[in-house]
Amino acid sequence: MHIAVLAKVVPDYEVPAGDFELSDNRAHSRYTRMMGLYDENAIETGVQLKEKYSASLTIISYGAEDDIPVLRKAIAMGAEKLVLVTGQSDDASVIAANLKMAIDNLGDVDLILAGQQSADMDRGVVHGTLAEMLGLTFIPQVSKIESENGGWKISQLTETGSRDLQFNGKGVFSITSIPENVPRIPAVRAIFAAKKKPVEKVAEVESNAMGIEEVSVEIPTMDSVCEFLPVEDVGETVKTLLTKLREERYL
Amino acid sequence: MKTLIVEIIEPKRLGELVTVSKEFCDTPDIVALGAGDVPGVYNKAWQTEETISANLVPAIAELIQKEEYQVVLFSASTVGAGLAGPVAAKLSASVVSEVIGIEPDLVVRRPMYGGKAVATYKITATPAILTIRRKYFEPAELEGTTAAETLTIAEPLVSLIAEKQEKSEGVPLEDAEVVVSGGRGMGGPDNFSMLQEMAEILKGAVGASRGAVDEGWAAPTLQIGQTGKIVAPGVYFAVGISGASQHLAGIANAKCVVAINKDEEANIFKRARFGIIADYKKIMPALNNVLREE
Amino acid sequence: MGRIPYWNISYGILIDAFAIPFVALFVYGMYRWWKLIRQGRARIRPDFPGKLGPIYLRALFTKGILGTKIYKKPYTGIAHGCLFWGMVLLFIGTALVFLNVLFGVPVFNGIFNRWFMSFTLDLAGLAALGGLLFLLIRRGFFSPERLTVPKERNGFISIVILLGLILVTGFLAEAARIAYNGTDPGAFVGNWLAQNTPLAHLAAGSITPDVIAGTWFPPLFGDTQGWLVFHQYMWWMHGLLALAFIAYIPYSPLVHVVLAPVNAALADPLPGPKMGVMDFSSFEDEEAEDTPPLGAAKLTDFTYKRLIDYTTCLWCGRCHEVCPAAQTGKTLSPKGVMVTLAEYLQQGKLEDESLVDAVSSDAVFSCTTCAACMEACPVCINQPKTIMKLRQHLIMERSEIPELMGKAHSSLELRQHPFFGTGAGQKDWRKDLEVPIFEAGKTEYLLWIGCSVTYEERAQKIAREMVNILDHAGVSYGILEEARCTGDPAKQMGNEFLFNELAEQNIEEFSELGVKKIITLCPHCYNSFVRHYSKLGGVYEVTPHSVFIKVLMESGKLNLTKSTKTICYHDPCYLGRRNNILDEPREVVSSIGELVEMPRNRRESFCCGGGGGNYWAEEEGTRINQVRTREALDTNADVIATACPFCLLMITDGSKKFTEEQKAFDIAELVSMQLKDD
Repeated sequence: MHIAVLAKVVPDYEVPAGDFELSDNRAHSRYTRMMGLYDENAIETGVQLKEKYSASLTIISYGAEDDIPVLRKAIAMGAEKLVLVTGQSDDASVIAANLKMAIDNLGDVDLILAGQQSADMDRGVVHGTLAEMLGLTFIPQVSKIESENGGWKISQLTETGSRDLQFNGKGVFSITSIPENVPRIPAVRAIFAAKKKPVEKVAEVESNAMGIEEVSVEIPTMDSVCEFLPVEDVGETVKTLLTKLREERYL
Repeated sequence: MKTLIVEIIEPKRLGELVTVSKEFCDTPDIVALGAGDVPGVYNKAWQTEETISANLVPAIAELIQKEEYQVVLFSASTVGAGLAGPVAAKLSASVVSEVIGIEPDLVVRRPMYGGKAVATYKITATPAILTIRRKYFEPAELEGTTAAETLTIAEPLVSLIAEKQEKSEGVPLEDAEVVVSGGRGMGGPDNFSMLQEMAEILKGAVGASRGAVDEGWAAPTLQIGQTGKIVAPGVYFAVGISGASQHLAGIANAKCVVAINKDEEANIFKRARFGIIADYKKIMPALNNVLREE
Repeated sequence: MGRIPYWNISYGILIDAFAIPFVALFVYGMYRWWKLIRQGRARIRPDFPGKLGPIYLRALFTKGILGTKIYKKPYTGIAHGCLFWGMVLLFIGTALVFLNVLFGVPVFNGIFNRWFMSFTLDLAGLAALGGLLFLLIRRGFFSPERLTVPKERNGFISIVILLGLILVTGFLAEAARIAYNGTDPGAFVGNWLAQNTPLAHLAAGSITPDVIAGTWFPPLFGDTQGWLVFHQYMWWMHGLLALAFIAYIPYSPLVHVVLAPVNAALADPLPGPKMGVMDFSSFEDEEAEDTPPLGAAKLTDFTYKRLIDYTTCLWCGRCHEVCPAAQTGKTLSPKGVMVTLAEYLQQGKLEDESLVDAVSSDAVFSCTTCAACMEACPVCINQPKTIMKLRQHLIMERSEIPELMGKAHSSLELRQHPFFGTGAGQKDWRKDLEVPIFEAGKTEYLLWIGCSVTYEERAQKIAREMVNILDHAGVSYGILEEARCTGDPAKQMGNEFLFNELAEQNIEEFSELGVKKIITLCPHCYNSFVRHYSKLGGVYEVTPHSVFIKVLMESGKLNLTKSTKTICYHDPCYLGRRNNILDEPREVVSSIGELVEMPRNRRESFCCGGGGGNYWAEEEGTRINQVRTREALDTNADVIATACPFCLLMITDGSKKFTEEQKAFDIAELVSMQLKDD
């Protein structure tokens, strides 16, 4: 069994809103780069499957060469090798096409895992697009995976609960976070070993972008100033509060 | 523009998509997923009981192509997330997910960086596939029903073994859209019932600060903060919570914080969107009254 | 008239011959320990290649031989002192007898006989007996919890019986001799016993020793002859038991008589656990076949010194009594850890990796690294180092860490600070404040801000007030453009690798900027710089802010008014116990208010609970910070001062249970309040 996990290196997703700034419509370059939040859950899931089914595990990423040191952590968590397609596009279709190329090159991938969404664009589109390009089945928001009679038994989280699904063949699953796939801390020996594992750099291939133009990116003006509601008439206060909450769609 | 909406038969979700569709056309077409009547009035309606996205992709893509839809709307839900990417890839369509705002001429807005930024896109090629984030658009009232033609689905690839519904009693704290939380300012365990009542009405969950848990007024499983659960509700009611940074760490992603506290110096007001400087014992019963009446 | 050695004893010289097998047993017993200890790892000391390590003579003399630390508990200390020094004197006396018999050294004559051989030795015997009685009653009837939790070491009762018999038979033999031969000036105990007990019968003394020679088991006490035989029995018993005592040393807790001084001599007298830094170069080296264990999973991963620790430990539980974790219901007891390791060692399970689980991961991570245990230990055991070695193994080899601490650890790994989910940006603390940036070649001091001060709102004020103080005093200082962490939390969580990475990054930047002098706001940063950075090549003149303020005060650069506030000072562990900075903060406090002490202060200070990565702990049982805050509030001081951001945060949190008032302040905040505007 050969499992590939897609991982993306993103700027710190925990930068507090008050400290967030943009440059060229993207998060400022001063923020530390790190592996995406759900991507780490996907890698952890991949490592657990690898351990359970003696599979081999490859990390595939699309991004800049500077991200390799960050991606080493994914290897240290338990992967065998890293394939990096070097490119800078933010277009879901372009990224998917390049990931497809990397997977085609590997040849024998049985299962592709990805975080449910990247921690920068928060889009959750690339993996589904990729699945279709590869002609594979795509299942989003997967929490648990078991290999059963040559097929897969999967738990999927939905808005109202969860579903157990079953299918045969190869697939692309987007992984959500559950307590069981909290990313492990790589052991120090594994970190050193990861430095010696192969990193394959592949140049980007030309591909058509989607018909979408980015017009602008803005930081929403967060009224961090607290609006104090008058309390002379308590009944009035609570009504005002509820009206305001509804107007601003919080309720 | 010719618009198709695809969603599970659920009035709120369908209503939201209908609202969005009005930006593009008078009456949309629909592919309704699940059993039962299709609520609302549509130009054309198809229906299938299949709700697993992977099994729906070919049929829906084919339909979009055949009917030449220019705009396709999904909810940003499990089904929508499962359809958007594959369908777009099949049709070489443009896809924008988690849309929170629509402007004329196919200009849409969506959040990124965990909501710290909002991007505006102009879609230049159709079909445009959009997944719409829940609770950003007022759901349209769906009147009447529309008779639907059966959408033929090929042999399913993925089969459903079991479906589990989350127990309706009590929403998990982390998933709750409304969290009503009490702190040391509650003064004792008894009044947590006020919070419970409010949470029940709003289908939310009750939380607590470390102080309240320390005092034994609330169960440790309810603790919110750096030590405890991290929540991201739409509204977070902080009742008698001073707002230590450890607590704030647990509600960093709450969209709106309403603080009710006697102490006007309380740190929680720095994080709050709305503040009420008063004794919660006056405010909470009044709030519950109004909510109950509604 | 001199005393006749071996009076009434035939073939008395035999006792000296018997000494040989007993001493052989002693030597064999010690050798067995050495064989066990030798399986540990030798610490390579460049200055003493291949040896056990240098011997700290001062520590050997004070802590080792004088046993100074045992007197921190005065009653037990005095009892132990009486017993120990009594036995030492008696041993010297016996050795002198031996020298007299073999070489005729004149010890039984004149003043020396009267005042040393008789008076002093009687006094020593009495003191030893008294000490022994106290210890027996305490252990037998009023046993403090510390002795029995989690278990009591076996072997003390047999030691007490043995020592008791040696002392009693000694006195009786002496008294019998005196009764027969007449009073011995100076031997007040022997004289009294000879006159006031049935031994007085012997005084009739008309029968010569020849008469009784060769008669075994005569009826005792009936006549003088019987009493003489009684004396013989006592004499032989005394001699043989004394030899048995020597042989028994390595097979009982008595081994501490030998090992406690050894342990003291080998313990680096620098305060604190002295974790050192790890060398990871063999991991980088492609050729290297053997990579060292990271931390310790089994006994052979520990150094000789640690194994001597476990052998020496008497399970007295003084560490248990002062441990903030043990005292608030956590799984950890430093004594418990010692007990587990000692048992593994005793059972020869040196390669058994179940050791960590036997101690338990919970216990290992509950340690706040406050080092109160090693401060309290009378035999110079370094408990924190053992615990930290286990922790290093758990995190670096097994990737095990409690969930919350793990989150902080991950944050440290990802974004170089452990405050995950912080609402503060890097520059928030200096909002609306003009703070100079360190400029190479221009600025004298680097004001090191550190992670807690940058990312925790309450702690940010420390830096703001320190900036005010430095501006007031006109100091040439600057900060780094980017906020950083020294890596101390990583080290405390056991990840030496992550610490090295962070430290090396900082050292590189300091070198580029030409930083030579650093002012720290956090004792953890201070400790990292002086203890660990120096070993990684970063040598700086580092001053904690409390000391820096004191220096500014003394040089008259701060114009302060004294308030009438009473101020209770809480010693941060990493400043006080671990770096011996105790007086400077107190002098600062005294100059701005009236200093009040808590019952546990200075080197006996009680931890706030935030050390050892336990700032990010889901505490079970009583909260350590509440215990400490209660203690501070009970002094009725107006405010609680401290000099560590973690202590400040922990005590601020702890005080919320008891009062709505803001009670805890950093020393810099208090000083800044008292600055007079010029």
